[in-house]
Amino acid sequence: MKKTGFVYDERYLLHETGQAHPESPERLKAIYDHLVETGTLEKLIRIKAEPAKQRWIEAVHNIHYIMRFDEACVCGMGEFNHPDNVICRESSEVAYLAVGGVLKAIDSVMSGRVERAFCAIRPPGHHAEVDKPMGFCYFNNVAIGARYLQQQYGIEKVAIIDFDVHHGNGTQHIFEEDPTVLYYSIHEHPSFAYPGTGREFESGGGNGVGFTKNSPVLPGRGDEEYRRLIMQDMVPAVKSFKPDFILLSAGFDAHIDDLMSGTNLTTDGYDFVSQVILNLVNRYTDGKVVSVLEGGYNLEMLPLLVGNHIEMLCELRTF
Amino acid sequence: MFVSERMATDLVTAGPGLSIFEARELMVGKDIRHLPVVDEAGKLLGIVSDRDLRDALPSTLLKKPDYETTLRLIGGYPVSGVMTKNPLTIFPYYTLQDTLLVMQKKKVGALPVVDEDGYLKGILSTRDLLKAFVNVLNIDEPGTLLCIVVQEEAGQMKKIIDIISEENISLGSVLVSRDWDDDKRAIFPYLLTNNVINVKQKLIDIGFELIDPMKWYLDQGLNVGD
Repeated sequence: MKKTGFVYDERYLLHETGQAHPESPERLKAIYDHLVETGTLEKLIRIKAEPAKQRWIEAVHNIHYIMRFDEACVCGMGEFNHPDNVICRESSEVAYLAVGGVLKAIDSVMSGRVERAFCAIRPPGHHAEVDKPMGFCYFNNVAIGARYLQQQYGIEKVAIIDFDVHHGNGTQHIFEEDPTVLYYSIHEHPSFAYPGTGREFESGGGNGVGFTKNSPVLPGRGDEEYRRLIMQDMVPAVKSFKPDFILLSAGFDAHIDDLMSGTNLTTDGYDFVSQVILNLVNRYTDGKVVSVLEGGYNLEMLPLLVGNHIEMLCELRTF
Repeated sequence: MFVSERMATDLVTAGPGLSIFEARELMVGKDIRHLPVVDEAGKLLGIVSDRDLRDALPSTLLKKPDYETTLRLIGGYPVSGVMTKNPLTIFPYYTLQDTLLVMQKKKVGALPVVDEDGYLKGILSTRDLLKAFVNVLNIDEPGTLLCIVVQEEAGQMKKIIDIISEENISLGSVLVSRDWDDDKRAIFPYLLTNNVINVKQKLIDIGFELIDPMKWYLDQGLNVGD
């Protein structure tokens, strides 16, 4: 079994989004309870989250944007920039803690305390742009993690693999001209699903041409299409990039039972995705990976899928 | 949705005496495919397309000396000799829908826009139309497309719009396809949100059928083959 770290903090529940919002505190509660019930939690090494220092958030986000977000929360605004982005007074503190959870997970992997880690954090991050919140996301947790790896630990090449059903527009835009970060995303086709980016022909710009790769999946397609695109697009992209570290934007909303999307990935399909990624991790990054929760809104499926994913990180389960 | 709102007005034009060679340089330099030709007062005389120029210029298959000799011979001719005289024109008060239909019917890539006296006011190309329709469909904004199959009867759209309004969701656009079963239609609202779970659930609860747009697409394909 691989020594696997786990980031979770009850304070993540304090980002309240009101009744009937899919990105709810219940998501994390359900994950946590499931891990307790199945006994998986006691096999994991707990990593304590701390709020990230603002300088790390500034490594990705515009300082004025950070201040606007803090102010919106302090002033008790109900939403930030768009009705999708419901906030409460505690939201910005929780967002700092979410980023901080990822940074602590990276510290734990880099110090050798754990080999890999899963971060059960919220709010999610991959839609957040340099100066704009989008799709329930405020700070781009994974993007900040990639910059932290490079600036704090001197890691040269970071690959970000994003299997949330929505394209990570924020992450793509942040790194699209940067040849040191590979961004690969598989998601529902942007003509049908939020946020309308991540088309096949988006492949980076400037020096970053070729370091962005997108695999859109048409609605109604499932395991077979994921299998084909993962093998045809993701594996060669990661192989030729040869990353020193892999970060995952782990979204579980592509599942057939998740009403948020039109794709039909099954529970087994998710296992396949996790397995192929872990094969790459073991081959290229000496087993080092930090997986970070993004979406996943079916409260019955999400805990199960996260549980399976964590068991695969631990190598207690294989496809 | 009027031509006047969408036409290009930063016009690049030529006088009738401009040489073919200069016209080509101008069009390549400005990245345009259609060059209106006007008289000194600004009255439209004709239009030159990049295809007109290609037809007039020597073949690139010619050997270099031959090419250059021919070019010298031809390049100095005035554009008035190759332009389309009295081209099809539209007025600024035409709608974009008019223009779309005209372009489709007449197979042209750009239309000069003139006033009643024939003075050139602008030009509207397929590029401008594409931009306008991207804007109308709102597809350059983040959102989610739903596909709802409904019985063909009055009041169905209202029910859908009511639910979308209840959920406080901004509507990007709505497309309607009538090519469904005889008594059914497919409605495609483009919602400017990531948060579609509640709206989907409510639509299902009042009895609408939400289908995967690909299923619709494939069924269309089958109908066409019948």
